[in-house]
Formats: sequence, C-alpha cells, structure tokens
Amino acid sequence: MPSLLIFIPLFGIVILNLPFGKAMRNAAFWFALAVFIVQIVLAITHQPIFWGNEIEQMDAFFRVNFSVDQLSFVMLLCIGLVSLTSLLVMRDTIFDINERFKFINLLMLASMGMSGIVMVTDIFTMYIFLEITAIASFILIAFEKDVYALEGAFKYMVLSALASVLILAATAILLLGAGSASFTAIADAIHRTDNNLIAVAMGLFVCGLLIKGGMVPFHGWLPDAYGAASPAVSVLLAGIVTKAAGIYTLIRALNSILGFDANIKALLLALGTISILVGAFAAIGQKDFKRMLAYSSISQTGYIVLGFGCATPLAIAGAVFHLFNHSIFKSLLFVNSAAVETRLGSTDMDRAGGLAQKMPITGFTSVIGALSAAGIPPLSGFWSKIIIVVALWQAGHTWYAATAIMASIITLAYLLAMQRKVFFGKLALGLEDIEEARLGIRAASVMLAAIIIGFGVLFPSAYAIFIAPIGEMFIK
Amino acid sequence: MNEKILLASAVFVPLIGSFATPIAGKISERLRNGLSLALVLLSLVCACRLIPTVISGRVVNLAFEMPLGLNFVITADCLAVFMAATSSFISAIIIIYSFDYIHRYDNRNEYYLMVTLFLGSMMGIVFSGSLLFLYIFWEITAIASWRLIGFFREKQFVIKADKAFLITVFGALAMLIGFIIIYQSAGSFELADIKKAYTTSHISSLALILIMLGILSKSATLPFHTWLPDAGVAPSPVTALLHAAVLVKIGIYAFARLFISTMSISYVWEMIVIGLVAASALISAGAALVETDMKRIIAYSTVSQIAFIFLGFAVNTEAGVAGGLLYILMHGLAKGGLFLCAGIVEQGTHTKDITKMGGLIATMPVTAVSFFACALSVMGVPPLGGFFSKYLVFSGTINAGHIGIAFVFLAGAILTILYLCRIFNSIFMGEAKVAPAQEGSWLMVSCVASIAFISFLAGIYIRYPALFASVATQQMLGR
Repeated sequence: MPSLLIFIPLFGIVILNLPFGKAMRNAAFWFALAVFIVQIVLAITHQPIFWGNEIEQMDAFFRVNFSVDQLSFVMLLCIGLVSLTSLLVMRDTIFDINERFKFINLLMLASMGMSGIVMVTDIFTMYIFLEITAIASFILIAFEKDVYALEGAFKYMVLSALASVLILAATAILLLGAGSASFTAIADAIHRTDNNLIAVAMGLFVCGLLIKGGMVPFHGWLPDAYGAASPAVSVLLAGIVTKAAGIYTLIRALNSILGFDANIKALLLALGTISILVGAFAAIGQKDFKRMLAYSSISQTGYIVLGFGCATPLAIAGAVFHLFNHSIFKSLLFVNSAAVETRLGSTDMDRAGGLAQKMPITGFTSVIGALSAAGIPPLSGFWSKIIIVVALWQAGHTWYAATAIMASIITLAYLLAMQRKVFFGKLALGLEDIEEARLGIRAASVMLAAIIIGFGVLFPSAYAIFIAPIGEMFIK
Repeated sequence: MNEKILLASAVFVPLIGSFATPIAGKISERLRNGLSLALVLLSLVCACRLIPTVISGRVVNLAFEMPLGLNFVITADCLAVFMAATSSFISAIIIIYSFDYIHRYDNRNEYYLMVTLFLGSMMGIVFSGSLLFLYIFWEITAIASWRLIGFFREKQFVIKADKAFLITVFGALAMLIGFIIIYQSAGSFELADIKKAYTTSHISSLALILIMLGILSKSATLPFHTWLPDAGVAPSPVTALLHAAVLVKIGIYAFARLFISTMSISYVWEMIVIGLVAASALISAGAALVETDMKRIIAYSTVSQIAFIFLGFAVNTEAGVAGGLLYILMHGLAKGGLFLCAGIVEQGTHTKDITKMGGLIATMPVTAVSFFACALSVMGVPPLGGFFSKYLVFSGTINAGHIGIAFVFLAGAILTILYLCRIFNSIFMGEAKVAPAQEGSWLMVSCVASIAFISFLAGIYIRYPALFASVATQQMLGR
C-alpha cells in the first residue's frame, strides 16, 4: 500500500480545501503533523504490512506501480523528518491563519511529490512527481512576496523549466526508443541496442537532474533561492528538495538504467570534487547566514556525488548515509538561522554576536550541526565522510580521498567563522533583550541535534540497520 | 574482570559523566564542582589501581565488535597507565584550583563540562587500542580546548580559539589520511594487528609525514607551535591544563605509542625528527627570552621543553625513552604549577605584562616560592624531579651517539635557565611597580604550593616513578 503515502495527503489537501469554514484551517496543521510522523514511523520500522505487496488492490486501483527498497526507506525518512522540521519552523514564523493554511497545503504537496519521486519505477511518473515538487517549491520560495523572494523563485523557475525541458525531451526519446517508460525496459533497450539517440537522451536526462540538484556548474540559482526564501522554506529546500529531485533521481537513473560505467564514474568524481571545493571556497566569504549555508550545501552535495562516483558498495552506502546526515545537519543549521532571523530580524552575521548567551539551545545545537557538517567525531557527519574517504582510498582514488578530507578544514573554517560571528563571543550591542526562539523551533533543533548525536554515538547499530543494506543493494 | 571494569570506568565515567555537570550546575554550584572533581578523581583512582597489574607485565584488553572492522578496543599497558595517572592527577589539582579561580566568571557550567570532557577524552586517547578511536578522542579534545580557549568570549580570544582549533584539526585530518594508509596496508585499525603487520618493515614515508603533521600540530612543535602562545588568552587553569598536563602531551604520547611501541621508523626519519625538535627547542627558547607577556613566556617555554621530550623518544634508547616518560610527569607538574602561579598573579595585578610588575614576593610569598620551585624543576636543578628526567634524556642522547645534538639541547637548557630567571625576577623581585597585589585565595595558593611540594617529593623519591618508567620502557621497546 505504499501509494497511500501519496494519496492520503493528496485527498487530505482536497478535503481540507472544501468550504467547511475555519475548523478545517485549524485542523490542517495537525493533519500535516500526523502525516509526517506516520511517514517517519513507517520508514523507520519498515512495517511489512504497509510496505508489502500483499494488498495489491490498493495500488492496482490507482494504476501506479510503486516499489520501495532500502534507498527509498532512507529517503522517505529524510522527507518525513525535514518536512516535520519545516512544519515546526512554520509554526513560529508564519502567524496569519490564512497564510499558514496556504503554506501547509504547499508543504504537503511538496512532500508528497518527493515521496512519489523516491517510490516510482518508471521515468515518466518520476517526471510528473518532479514537476509537482518543483511547482510547490516555486510558490513556497515566493511565499513572502518581497522582491528578493520573487527573484529567487524566478531564478529557480527558469532553471528548473530548462531542466524540465531536458528531462521531458529525454523521456520522450526514451519512450520512443524503448517502447516503455519503466526503468527495466529502458535499461534493456540501452544494453541491447547501441542506439546513439538513447545515449543522448540519457545525457539530457542527467543534465536536467544536475540542474535540479544544484551541482556545480549548475548551482547559480541555489544561494538566491535558499537565501531569499522564508525560514521554513529554506529548511525544506536545503534539507531535502534538491536532494530528492536532483541527487536521488540521478542515482536511481544511474543504478537502474545506465549502470555505472567508467566514464560516468570519472564524471561524477570530478563533478563531486569541484562542487566540494567551489561550494566551500564560496561559503568562506559570505556575510549572510543563509547564503553561507546554501554554499555549504553545494559543497556537501559534492561529497555525496563523490561517493556515488566511486561506486563500490561501501562508497554508495557512505554516500547515502551522508545524504541522510546532510539532510539532518543542514536542516538543523537552517533551523538555527530561522531562530536568529525571527529574533534578530535579519540573517546578516555581522549584526549578530554572542547570541549563545541569550539563546542557549540554539547556540548549543548550532555547534552540534556545524561540527557534524565539518565531519568532526563523534558526530554522525564524521562517520559518513570517513566511510566515503576509506572507500575512495580502497578503490585507488587517493587524490580524491585526500581532497575530500582536506576540504573538511575549509568547511570547519567557515562554520567556525559563523559560530564566532553569531553565537560564540561577546553579546553584540543592542541585543540585550533578545530571547530564545519559540517552542516549535526549539523542539525542531533539539530533535535534529539528538539525531546527530545519537547516530554518531550509536553508529554501529545505525550502520547495520540502515546503511549496510543499501551498499549490498548495489552489488550486481 | 575487575581490571576490565577499572579500565572501562577510567575512560567512560568522565566522558559520559561530564554531560551531567551542567545539569548539576542548574541545581547547585557546589554539587557541580564536586561532581566534576569526583569524576576526575575516579579516573585517577582507576588508573592507579591498574598500576600493579601493568607493572607485573600484564596487559588489560577490552574490545567491542563493530562493523567494517572498526572495533572499539581499549588497552591498558604501562605506557597508557603512566600517561593516564599523570594527566588525571594534574587535572584533579587544576580542577580544585578552578573552584576559586573560575567562580567569578560567566559560563561556569560550560567550563566544567569541557574540562571533564577533555579529561575523559584524554583517557580515551591513552587507552585506545585502535587508530580510529584514537583519532576520534583526539578531535573531542580539540573541541573542548576550542571552547575553553574562547572562554572569555572577546572577539580576539575567539579568533585565537578558532586558530588553535583549525591548526590542530588540520594536523589531525592529515594524520587521519596517514591512518588510512596504515589501515590499507595492515588491514585493520587495531594497534595489535598493525604491530604484527609491521614487525619487519618500517612505516612508509608518506604515512609517517602525515601522522607527524598531526603529532606536531597537537604538540605545538615547530612549525605548528604558534597557536599555543595565543592560547594564553584562556583562563589560567585552562592554559595549565592545555599546556602542562595534557593537550601538548597527547602528540608526544601518540609518537611514543605509534613509532616506538607499535611501529618503527627508519634512521633517516629519526634524524629528521631530532633536527626538527632541536630547532624547535632553540627557537622557542629564544622567543621566551624576548616576550614580555607572562603567559606567552611560559607557553614558549612549553614548546621548548616539549622538544626535550621528543628528543628522548626520538633517540630511541632505553635511557632516552625512560627520560621522556619521566619528563612528561615532571614537566606536567612543574609547568602546571607555573601557569597556576601566573593565574594568581594575573588575578591580583590585572596584567600579564612582566615589565609592569615587580616586587610581588613581598605580598605573595607562597606564590613566589612555589613559582621558584616549579621553575627550578623545569630548569632541571637537583634534587627536584626535573633534574632526573633531563639527565636521562641527555644520557639517552649520548648513548645513541648524538653528541652534537646533545650540545644543541644543552644550549636550550641554558636558555631555559635564563628566561625562567628573567621572568621570576621581573615578577617577584625588584621594586614594586603596581599597587601591591593580595595573595590569592587559600585554595588556589595551597594548590600551587602542593604542586611545588610534589615536584620536590618526586625528585626525592625518584625511585618509584623511575621504576614505573623503566618497566614501561622495557615493555615499549619489547625487550
């Protein structure tokens, strides 16, 4: 019954929008909360009754063909956690009941779209869910309707439209060439014939996904979109949207359709390394908290791609683990920036200073998030990085491994600069009356920090349950 | 079984217990202070209870299975127990001193959390039987010292804290690459397996260089020493902790553990290390001679003395290694004492500039005498403890045939005497230049006095630490 993950939110949105008055609008928050929590629980427990194919009537009724594997579980978990975080942050940043209602609808739509992306088995349905996610994201970025938000949304829309054209064109060619849109059929067609057109189509497809994922050299839209969006939206975008729409789809396409051949591996390794370095160096000079985090996202995504480019089971397990970790620590840092933004009125780091004294929870959790992002043990970010590095080393990519390790020092440098300017230091003048963030933001940051510490300290069992099966999935 | 519990609690009680200190701090100050001290004392007791076992030649092992061959192993042998007992003992004195020193500043909860966490991860480092976990604990100490150096939250101080963090993490990351190289060739992160894999061969040059980067940056040896004088912006107990007792000894410990007791390095590299530390000894002693900031002088002196310890280990003779071990204890005590005295002087006079002080012996007699005794120990004047360690290091160097190097270090030792006399004269002798400062609180003063007294006792009863050090040396050199 995995299709329920799509259809319950979808019908929920429809019913909530029926003209039944204010009660529905108040119920929306709790409905969304319940949906996300159920999704998290189902993804953690792997509940066989829900995920199994025993009750096929449900899926057959809707004429969709979903399949869920270990990778999808991790993605569904990330989607649930980040959406939940975004919802909690929304509670403390948007107060008008109508605006809230609109936001929740869009959030559920985006989350549903991403859940669809990670469960589909054919390229056309994947395209549809990509578009659902993208459209919900445009509106969310423009949610505050000021000039920067509109600029960010516009940039994202233009580049995303370009990506859509590429993906759609590729889908059309593949449909013609293979006769079916399903992953297996296309994979067959590619391996059977040496039709150049199909190779071109896959090239277009991959380019489209790289734009969606904000990889260098297609990263230009990302800092503007993250920086301009309202706090709850930047959490969602940075935490999961680009990862589900760009990185996950890329991996799925490579694993299920193309297979990892030497050229693609070399391309991914190079792209990953360039992204790591470009993102990290660009992040050093940033004065705005959210833009810095955006560049940091580009850099961390590079690690994920680097792991996939290595393509040994260990590397892929590490890359997926890093994807999960990145969702958590980057959401946490964006939640911290939301806390600063709500209390300070801006995310300009030079205006802040010594906030940890007045906002102890935000201050502490931001240290955890920053150290995890920099890969400092014993936090979870360390383990995923070391797995990727060891895997790269074992595969003989010693220079890539060394670059990946040494880029951590740049990551640490800009995150320490952030800590120094915003939290760690003497309280800046005029901030004496500042208070700790509201309950929702506090709850979200404590939850995410607990996950980082928990996964870091209890790494062995987390690895055995979640990560190791993913690597095995990719042995062929 | 009993020993395994001792070993596990020496590491995990302070490590996990440290997170209870801020909670205790919410209830009462005294409870938190007491808890922090109790955690460190427990570590000390556990380490001391392990002494008879390890002296009899047994090695205590405790292992937890983990996936990917990343087993968590802690091992207690002579070297580890010696380091653990030394550092937890000095830490305990420093924590008692902090009770009075730190109570007038903000962020006390964080202070006790970080100090206890630091000691816990230090225990993790010395007992770790696996390179990976050595690295993990190594980084936790870096986190703790980052927060501690930035304790006063001034912008310049936080920048210096960031500097120290970045330099040590840079070194640690290089070291991590080195560890991965070893992992590739030995197939395991565990020291026991690595020892088997490297019985006949030397460690590869690349791995050695990378690991040395980590060791030198943590031990503040040339060319990565600059963060250490800067770290003097920290509150005095912290600088004492950082410099004297533990942080800089971590690098030396790693050197002894990896390149003496586990693997071996080739003669060429031995000479390069010796040359490097000789330069470090002379240059930093020169810097100490011209500095005017009291804490920076003592910090440069640490850089210089660390070079002596490295020399003892690098010459790789029995006397040298035993001398190096004793030096860790003696220097830890004496240098800790110097920093704690400097803390009392700083709190009394509100300055760190030695040109603005003078004649303080009149109002601070106990501090002055303790400072002098600790300084004598660092200089290596008999019968204080520092003499024996310095003597053994020199005799080890000469045994190994490095007469020239011995003369270079002799010059370093003379410089040590010069700058320590200079700092003592400027602070305590001569005419008073500032309003006469009051002696510190009785708790702080009794801490420094007892450190000075223990330095003296350690010289008188040198038999016992020397016995321990020589057994440890036998075990390390495998003879």
